[in-house]
Amino acid sequence: MTRITIDPITRLEGHGKIEIFLNDQGDVENCYFQVPELRGFEVFCVGRPAEEMPRLTSRICGVCPEAHMMASAKALDALYGVEPPPAGKKLRELLYSAFYVTDHTTHFYALGGPDFVVGPDSPAAERNILGVIAKVGLEIGGQVIAARKRNHHVIEMIGGRAIHPVAALPGGMSHPITEEQRREILDIARQNVEFAQFTIDLFHNVVLANSAYVEMITSPAYTLRTYYMGLVDEHNKVNFYDGLVRVVDPDGVEFARYMPVEYTDHVAEHVEPWTYLKFPYLKKLGWHGFVEGKGSGIYCCTPLSRLNAADGMATPLAQAEYERMYETLGGKPVHFTLATHWARIIELLYAAERMVELAEDPEVASPDVRTLPTKKPTEGVGIVEAPRGTLTHHYVTDENGILLEANLIVGTTNNYAPIQMNIKRAAESLIHGGQVSDGILNRIEMAFRAYDPCLSCATHSLPGQMPLEIVIRDSSGQVVQRLSQNID
Amino acid sequence: MIASAAQLHQPVAPGPPRPGGAVVIGIGNPILSDDGIGWRVAEQVEAVLRARGDALAGQRVHVRRMCLGGLALAEALVGYEHAVLIDAILTGSTRPGTVYRFGISDLPATLNTASSHDMTLAGALATLRRLGAPLPPDNGIRVIAIEAEDVWTFGEACTPRVARSVARAVQAVLDELAARPAGQTASADL
Repeated sequence: MTRITIDPITRLEGHGKIEIFLNDQGDVENCYFQVPELRGFEVFCVGRPAEEMPRLTSRICGVCPEAHMMASAKALDALYGVEPPPAGKKLRELLYSAFYVTDHTTHFYALGGPDFVVGPDSPAAERNILGVIAKVGLEIGGQVIAARKRNHHVIEMIGGRAIHPVAALPGGMSHPITEEQRREILDIARQNVEFAQFTIDLFHNVVLANSAYVEMITSPAYTLRTYYMGLVDEHNKVNFYDGLVRVVDPDGVEFARYMPVEYTDHVAEHVEPWTYLKFPYLKKLGWHGFVEGKGSGIYCCTPLSRLNAADGMATPLAQAEYERMYETLGGKPVHFTLATHWARIIELLYAAERMVELAEDPEVASPDVRTLPTKKPTEGVGIVEAPRGTLTHHYVTDENGILLEANLIVGTTNNYAPIQMNIKRAAESLIHGGQVSDGILNRIEMAFRAYDPCLSCATHSLPGQMPLEIVIRDSSGQVVQRLSQNID
Repeated sequence: MIASAAQLHQPVAPGPPRPGGAVVIGIGNPILSDDGIGWRVAEQVEAVLRARGDALAGQRVHVRRMCLGGLALAEALVGYEHAVLIDAILTGSTRPGTVYRFGISDLPATLNTASSHDMTLAGALATLRRLGAPLPPDNGIRVIAIEAEDVWTFGEACTPRVARSVARAVQAVLDELAARPAGQTASADL
């Protein structure tokens, strides 16, 4: 046994790394956000029975197994040409809504919120959930933990396990819930609505009431004009589980609205020599480099993008807050990256309200939760909105359902180009004439954090909260400065 | 809607442990080559405890496998007095398969103990303690880490040198369980 000390820089090697190159004037010339990619997923999948995919793909990462399970189950429905019965579909959406409540709650209180609630210029050691608790009270921490716990319980009841649920099958779910469980879930859902409303109030009182924060949210350093993507229902309202993919242009005008199976007509992937991860873009517009605006195929799919891409929210309280956000921020679409935090808690409220709607429906406890597949499988695409972006699973099998091909476009990957551009923009506002402003690490992190990038899908072993290393080089390539967040 | 103390004091799974109980958690992604080493070791630890045939084994030592870090990992320790975490680590400075032992106070960021989506394990433990959750004391949380070689390729098997470390890592876990602080000696538990 050896006892060792590990240099944080060593640990960061190969993880989230930002290289900033300055020009002769000492201003930002280029910026590269590099992430290594996991290898061999397709090879790993090929030759396996397709019905293993919901369980396998949910193992890709530990952050959003529920999203992978859902996209995979929907791809299997399509593959076997089978439609789940109403109760099967509702159960899936109920589980998925509980997952959204957990995920968005954790992000807001542990990751995104501290920048605002504690303050962007406060020491990193305080910008965390403990800092939030210190500022707004101990009971808030208790509520966050309780919200996670009760929604994990819902996921366990419906999905069979609290972490890495297993119940989704082609054609529906493996088991129904009881009437008693339905009532228990309804009670939990109502608590979620109350908690989401509290969270929205907190955001108003702490963030929006502070003009300095509003100024920062609407500042050019955090503004990016791109296309926006998200799933919508038949009324063009935000939907996480099902619907058509809608894309709006930077003016908010509908650009595309398509079925999941048509995704290859709309999305292509660009390769850059300096990173393994590909950059998806809108095929009909083409790749024109890291440029924003109407002529560029770069799109974004985040909570804010989903709200931009839709005409509203399908539940009343979330719709009211949706209207309030666009009124406050000057109409649709909103291009302020940091407003993603506001959009995320509007989605939190929607997910909670949607849980109530689904749990109030007696049909959700119907024993008829699965349609048995009878057709021969060929090819299937499933799309859901993962918390971090549109998630696509695409499988091709032989007639025995053995996988021949598998392609996944994970949530964060969609946003790789916008994240890269946001980082560059934030860097440009903080580096002038070779002078690097204090706090650049925090400010770049804030741009990064708004996306809550889930590099676990693309890269796995991010060891810390936001383990970014930023290397700034002059025009001759010499390192001027190296910054990294300490990992405790 | 304020969480009651009772709500916070219950572990998420697998049911309330008895006082003095320990949890062994293998952490990692079981389909990502060496990242799954924590799972492999935990499976063997469970097999050893079962083979010893002690009726208490199942009640006093829970063995779990997880692929979550941060808050979720800290939540899994609630209600226990002693915890042993098994995870892959990439220092790049030692031979793959090297087995390390750490205390929580000098816990390095192993591959999975932190989460990029909430906080480090230390931060998560501090948060839950601040909220009054009963967690093992710092000296009751030990980490067995195994130097990995490949955590980038999907696959259910570890690389050969890492795979050969399983027996040593299992012994390290058993040693940690046996060396529990006075009053919680492990001999009766195993």
